[in-house]
Amino acid sequence: MKEPVYEVFARKTREEPLRHIGFINASDGDLARVYAWKTYDEQNWAEMCVIPRSAILPLDPGESQFVTAPHDEHEDEIVHSRATGSYGGGDVAVKEAS
Amino acid sequence: MTETLSQAATYDKADQLPDDVRAPLRDLILALADSKRVLGLRYSDKMLGAPTLEAGIAASSMAQDEWGHARLTYALLGDLGDEPKALEHERVASEYRSIAALDTGLDGWAGMTAAALLVDTALSAQYAALLDSRYTPVHNRVQKLLDEEKFHFQYAAGWARRIAQVPELRGELTEALRRYLAPALAWLGRDEAPGMRRLVEEGIVRDEPSARRARYLARVAPVLDDIGVAAALGLERRDGSTWTFTGELDWNGWDDATRRAGGELDEETAARARGDKNRALLMD
Repeated sequence: MKEPVYEVFARKTREEPLRHIGFINASDGDLARVYAWKTYDEQNWAEMCVIPRSAILPLDPGESQFVTAPHDEHEDEIVHSRATGSYGGGDVAVKEAS
Repeated sequence: MTETLSQAATYDKADQLPDDVRAPLRDLILALADSKRVLGLRYSDKMLGAPTLEAGIAASSMAQDEWGHARLTYALLGDLGDEPKALEHERVASEYRSIAALDTGLDGWAGMTAAALLVDTALSAQYAALLDSRYTPVHNRVQKLLDEEKFHFQYAAGWARRIAQVPELRGELTEALRRYLAPALAWLGRDEAPGMRRLVEEGIVRDEPSARRARYLARVAPVLDDIGVAAALGLERRDGSTWTFTGELDWNGWDDATRRAGGELDEETAARARGDKNRALLMD
C-alpha cells in the first residue's frame, strides 16, 4: 500500500500568508496532521495545514512540484519534485542551480 | 444556587489545603507522573523500526512529550512536601506507582497503538479532571499538556484505523486493545475511595471516577466502534449515545493510593526511568 503525500503549509503570524514548508506521507488526514505537527514543530507556527497533494491542480504541470500521476493506481506518486524533501522542516524554498 | 465563599476559593499553596486532602492529592499526582514517565519509555522503544519514518518521528516526539509531562507533574509535588529530584532519580522499582498495564513493554505496533489509544487517553482523562481544579498550581499546568495530547489521540486513532484494515494484524490489535481497556478503566479509580471523595468535595478534582470513565469511553469508544471492535471489547452504546463497558473491573487487591493491585515495575525499567546511566551527569 502506498501512502498518499500531504503537502504542509504554515504561517508564523495570522497576518502573513501560508507558505509551503515541506511534505509528509500519511495514510489519512488525521495522521497527516499529527506528522506535520511533529515533524515541523521546531518553529512557533500560528497555523499549519496539510493538503493532499492530489488535491492540488497546477496550471503548468510541467513546471510544478505538486504534480501527481493522474488517475492510476499510483495516483499519489510523485512524478516530479524538486522543491521539497527536507524532514528538517523550515524553509525549503527551491534553490535552482545557477 | 448560591455559591459559598468556600466553594469559590482557590488554593494557591498545598499548605492551604485541608489535611485530609493533601495525601490523596499527592497520591494522584505521583501516579500520574510515574505513569507518564513509564509511558514515555515505552513509546521511546518504538522510535526506531516504526512502520513509516513519519510514525517514528511522531513516536519520538510523543515520548519526549510524555517525559516533559512527567517532569512537570513531578515538579508539582514540591509544593506537597516532596523533593521532585529525589522522586525522579532515587526511587527503587517497588516505589513506582505507574499504571500496571505498562509494567511490560508494548508488543509490536499494535501494542503501541493500543497503549496510545487506551492508556495515554486514560491519563489524559484524569488530567482533564484537574483542568478546573481549585488547587491552582495544577490548574495552571494542565491545559498545555492536554493540547499536546490531542495529537497523541489523533495518532492512535489514525493507526488503529490503519491496522484494522490489515487482515493479518486485526486480531493482534483487538487483543492488544483488550489487554489495555479494563486496566485503563480501573486505573481511573473507585468512587468509594475516601481520598478521591474528598478531592471531589473540595473541587480539586472535577468529578468522581465513574464520571471520568464515562468521558473516557465517550472519547475512545467511537474509534473502537469505527474499526468494528467495540462489541468484541464489551462496549455497548446505551440510549443511543452513552457508551458502557459490560465487562467486570477487577478490584481484587486494589490500592486506591497507588492505583495498583500488586505487582511492580521491573528494576531495569526503573533504572531507565531514574536515568541511572547518566547519574554522574545530573544537573541541579
